[in-house]
Amino acid sequence: MRLRSAFATTTLLGFPVAWLVAFFLVPIAIVALYSFDVYSLFPEKHGFTLAAWRAFIHSSVYLGLFWKSVNMALTVSVVVVVLAYPLAYYLALSGTKRKYVLLLILIAPFLTSYLLRVLAWKVILGNNGVLNSFLAWTGIRSPDHPVSQLLYSRFAVMLVLAYVWVPFVALPMFVSLDTLDRRLLEAAADLGASRWQAFRRVTLPLSLPGVAAGFFFVFIPTLGEFVTPSLVGGTSGYMYGNQIADLFSTGFPDWETGAVLALFLLAVVTVLTLFFARFTRVQEAG
Amino acid sequence: MERKLTREDLLKLGVAAGGAALAAGPVGLARAALSAESGRLQVLDWAGYGNDGGQAMFAQYVKSHPGNKPQFTYMTNESDALAKLHAGLKPDIFRPYVGWTKYFATSGLVQPWDTHLISNLKNLNPAMVKAGQYNGKQYGIPADWGFDKILYRSDKVKPKAKSWGLLFDERYKGKIAWFDDLGMLVATGLYLGVKNPWNQTDAELARTQKFLKSKKHLVRLMWASESNLWEAFGSGELWIAYAWPNDWVQMKKKKLKVVYMSPKEKPVAWVGMLMLLKDTPRKQLAHAYANAWVSTKSGKWLEDNYGYGHSNTHARPSSADLARVLQIANPKAVGLPNAYLDRDIPRRALYARMWEEVKAA
Repeated sequence: MRLRSAFATTTLLGFPVAWLVAFFLVPIAIVALYSFDVYSLFPEKHGFTLAAWRAFIHSSVYLGLFWKSVNMALTVSVVVVVLAYPLAYYLALSGTKRKYVLLLILIAPFLTSYLLRVLAWKVILGNNGVLNSFLAWTGIRSPDHPVSQLLYSRFAVMLVLAYVWVPFVALPMFVSLDTLDRRLLEAAADLGASRWQAFRRVTLPLSLPGVAAGFFFVFIPTLGEFVTPSLVGGTSGYMYGNQIADLFSTGFPDWETGAVLALFLLAVVTVLTLFFARFTRVQEAG
Repeated sequence: MERKLTREDLLKLGVAAGGAALAAGPVGLARAALSAESGRLQVLDWAGYGNDGGQAMFAQYVKSHPGNKPQFTYMTNESDALAKLHAGLKPDIFRPYVGWTKYFATSGLVQPWDTHLISNLKNLNPAMVKAGQYNGKQYGIPADWGFDKILYRSDKVKPKAKSWGLLFDERYKGKIAWFDDLGMLVATGLYLGVKNPWNQTDAELARTQKFLKSKKHLVRLMWASESNLWEAFGSGELWIAYAWPNDWVQMKKKKLKVVYMSPKEKPVAWVGMLMLLKDTPRKQLAHAYANAWVSTKSGKWLEDNYGYGHSNTHARPSSADLARVLQIANPKAVGLPNAYLDRDIPRRALYARMWEEVKAA
């Protein structure tokens, strides 16, 4: 019986593990070999070297760009969590019978292409866009002097990323709040806690794993983002992910440095994921 | 009824084909070789030049080879093409620009053309044909050409001088676009008075980079594709841009008051070069394709529809404005004293690193 169970486990796990090895671990190993110049795009003589890693560690430019991206990703993640929490709270705890319909409406934008949604923001934020036309119509701004820093800016990147991620983040928060034991809230009320006290001392602590999950859901992909900054970021919205893409294909291919930047990002994301996993375990144990 | 060919039949056919080819001379030889080539012609080109709107450029080829329509893979720039070639892509033809001629000719990736098989070569601008040569061999067949100059809105911008310096003018902060390319290091070198902007010394390059970093805060956008530039310039987000002739044409079409300015430090001219990959199994088809690309008809279509010049001197654009801005009647438009023809950057990898650092800074 135990043998059969072990066989079933091996069989069931075998395919996903093989998939992970073939399409995740092996490609990462190949990228690592490029970063050490063991593999090279060019046929000229090459061999193991730490030159690209050394150059990266001593480069204030690349690390500076990384910190800029961390800053942007943190801002976006905090904004998204703050916006998504009330949404999830309302859906889970307001007692509305249509919560699943509302949830469906919340995620409806995902039925359209990501690219289309990002490009739609160009129509909204541009000089002749919806926002500036409205400002001109109300007389707040002259049509000849639109607010021109809305598009092709760091602000535009963060705004669009926040818009894209809010529904995604609302989902784990909703799950976390929806499974909350309501009797705890009733007990808090019976013991004289106000609604705000009940929220602060019961609801919020119990929903923190969902909040943390939401935060990392946004932070990790946003840190390596390059599509949105390419479309609406301009010079000031240029991010670390754009630099990786450009090193591989612009000017002259520099796969060694590109691989180093990509692996550094992967290492940071891995550490964050481990931290997140540990955090959620502590929360669950608590 | 199906009939299988025996080895004897094949030999007979071979002898007959060879005999016929010998009897018909070089053209006959080419035809015989052509019939022996198999598989569809593979072209690595820029977006807009394949089956995505550029069909007129190779219509003559398709007409004469209806059974062998070209298949396209797209490149975003020469660096991208280089990476694709090294990564194993096997096109028959690709089209880098003149600044890369020497690099590719010495890379071992391409082979010279047999100019006898390109009947339209005699109609091409001799200076451009020469620019496609390396060590006396024709590695590049010149095709499209144009300039790197400055496009600006004459109703919004008052330049202090006709100079590349307009790209660094503090008065127009947030309204300027640079080109996301090593050409920015060259143009800046020209502006700073560097002796040879394509081969700057370490000190010159460091100075150029420092200058670009100090002026980056003025720049709203670094464009990598023209559609990106047109959208931002057309909507008024930008007033000044490092630009190509077609960008001026497009902005004129949008009824914007635009000037395409030649800087006093001189513009940089570029020429697209069709190149033949070294181990192509479809050499004859590739020559036929290149010949179609440089025909007068294709050239005129390119000028009228894409707003670039064409190496075929018989091709003339319908627009007098475009003819004027391209100086189409001047056979030496792409050379001195009018412009610097773009050239090899010997330390391209270093230039690329310096440019990436400007973007990341």
